[in-house]
Amino acid sequence: MSNSSSASVNASASTDLEATRYIPPWSSPYIIGVAGFSGSGKTTVAQKIIEEINEPWTVLVSMDNFYKPLTKAQSELAFQDSLKAGKKTEIPVYSFSLHDRTEEKITIYGANVVILEGIYSLFDQSLLDMMDAKIYVDTDLDICYTRRLMRDIAERGRDLGGIIRQWDSYVKPNSVRFVKPTMSNADVIIPRGSDNKVAIDMIIKHLKKQLKLKSIEHLHHLKKLGRVIKPIDFSKVDVLKETNQLLGIKSIMLNSATSNDEFIFYFNRIASLLINQSLELVEYGPSINKIVSPTGHILKDAIQQKQEVVAVNIIRSGDCFVYSLRKTIPEVVIGKLLIQSDSQTGEPQLHTERLPSFSNNCKVLLFDAQIISGAAVIMAIKVILDNGVEEKNLVLVTYLATEVAVRRVLNAFPEVHLVIGNMSSIEGIEGKDMDGDWWMSNRFIDSRYFGTD
Amino acid sequence: MSEPTEYENVILLKQTNQLKCLYTIIRDQETRRGDFVFYSDRIIRLLVEEGLNQLPIESSVIQTPIGSSYDGHKFQGKICGVSIIRAGESMEQGLRDCCRSVRLGKILIQRDEETALPKLFYVKLPTDIQQRYVFLLDPLLATGGSASMAVDVLLETGVKEERIMFLNVLASPEGIKVFQDKYPKIKVITGMIDEGLNDKKFVVPGLGDFGDRYYCI
Repeated sequence: MSNSSSASVNASASTDLEATRYIPPWSSPYIIGVAGFSGSGKTTVAQKIIEEINEPWTVLVSMDNFYKPLTKAQSELAFQDSLKAGKKTEIPVYSFSLHDRTEEKITIYGANVVILEGIYSLFDQSLLDMMDAKIYVDTDLDICYTRRLMRDIAERGRDLGGIIRQWDSYVKPNSVRFVKPTMSNADVIIPRGSDNKVAIDMIIKHLKKQLKLKSIEHLHHLKKLGRVIKPIDFSKVDVLKETNQLLGIKSIMLNSATSNDEFIFYFNRIASLLINQSLELVEYGPSINKIVSPTGHILKDAIQQKQEVVAVNIIRSGDCFVYSLRKTIPEVVIGKLLIQSDSQTGEPQLHTERLPSFSNNCKVLLFDAQIISGAAVIMAIKVILDNGVEEKNLVLVTYLATEVAVRRVLNAFPEVHLVIGNMSSIEGIEGKDMDGDWWMSNRFIDSRYFGTD
Repeated sequence: MSEPTEYENVILLKQTNQLKCLYTIIRDQETRRGDFVFYSDRIIRLLVEEGLNQLPIESSVIQTPIGSSYDGHKFQGKICGVSIIRAGESMEQGLRDCCRSVRLGKILIQRDEETALPKLFYVKLPTDIQQRYVFLLDPLLATGGSASMAVDVLLETGVKEERIMFLNVLASPEGIKVFQDKYPKIKVITGMIDEGLNDKKFVVPGLGDFGDRYYCI
């Protein structure tokens, strides 16, 4: 099962099993280590890499943050168990003025690219094992010393005597004894540090190529999820009954002559129906207390809701549900996720994750107005599950969905429930990813609802 | 969503756990007005949606934003609401939530103190009501006495029987029978059918006086 991300596109039926598990891109972030003397220009190199590769969800972890208080065991815990597995990880912030870690922490979630930058980042074998690329910035010790002098006085507020004492008795000997030998662990050495434009450009080109390969693998994997020949489990999919009202409203939604005002009004109506339908999936049970009606009768069939409901909207089309959601459950907690598809490759990328803490056994309604390829919702579901929600407690609510996307979602997450207003019929051509109806393959609901069309 | 009943023209909302939960709240004598209004409104909204689904549609070709045409549908026929004052007025907002500028007529029927029979006090209806589908609004169908009188008023005005939809939150089996015997073509759309009427002609277990709980006390 572990080699599923490398499964080829035209895999035979026997490897289809592997495709029924969604592997998000951050489950194997590309990890780059950058080491060098203090003042060698490591940070500048790292920053240039970040700027150039321009990947969202790139994280720069300064190993200086682990300068002292973190033990080897702790660092292994932080990196191997969490970051590499794509889980939420908290990285402490090191304060140079205080010479210690502060209470502040940076939260890293599902990074695509992680750059570990620090004097000793190529020292620890367990860290080296995780790295996909190891860079050593080799700058002359004298240059490092002058840079350090200037920086420590100007930016970190230390006095000259202290700096010189620290350099002579601690930084310099340690650099020579411990840091310099780690150069042999590097894949690439950049002489003259951050001034070496040619070397940095070459490294960036290589990294871009590696990341592109990773992105292609992710997309192939997503496509495969939809192709698996397995009938949709309709016990997990509720498609609203095609009533006269729904037929009429669908035409209003698709009509170019519909005003914005009408569009919003009718979408809100559909949203209410979908929310009502999804609330049928919440757990109900007999009321604990005796319920008496005003005529004095004790109710025999008193039912109460037994499960908390939490909403998560995918920005922006999930936000089209907020009006109706607040009308149905005024006090509902709403989490948000921003997932956008790369304009060139179509690969979904997670940009923002603002989720509440999910209580035990709560029902999570995930909203998205339209599901075309399913890539974004699959990513959203993965993020929510990683936050401790049980798969069976997740309900995906959408107005328009393509059949291929529904199959992808259910193949990746068979326990998730879907509530759909309208599902497109399939064209029947094996391997064809988009279904025939144009409104199923064009994202238009959010732009009409918010008036940005 | 609805489920079949023994009468062809009685449409009962699907008796799901969620619906039962909403009814438990509004039946509970401890429920305060804020919650009573909120949860009644949610049920009323479902009734209105179910009522609107009874309206016909016709085929219509529409132009889509990308320039192609699509074989769609459009709503057919005009509607209006008629509420029986006072409790019926509580359902007007639910109707307006789905049909924003819908015309609303009102009928006031009260019990005559001398004869103990319902008596018509006030009628105000849209002038072209004969051409419309009418949503008759009254949250409780108990004996069906005042609702029958309201229907008679509508029929006299020229509204077609098959174009009347009577929406109520809670109905008694007795009231439904009265209605089906007298006006078999009217569609009665209800959320729940209760056990019956007590000796004071209240629906039991019921939910008390709907108007009082929605507006005052």
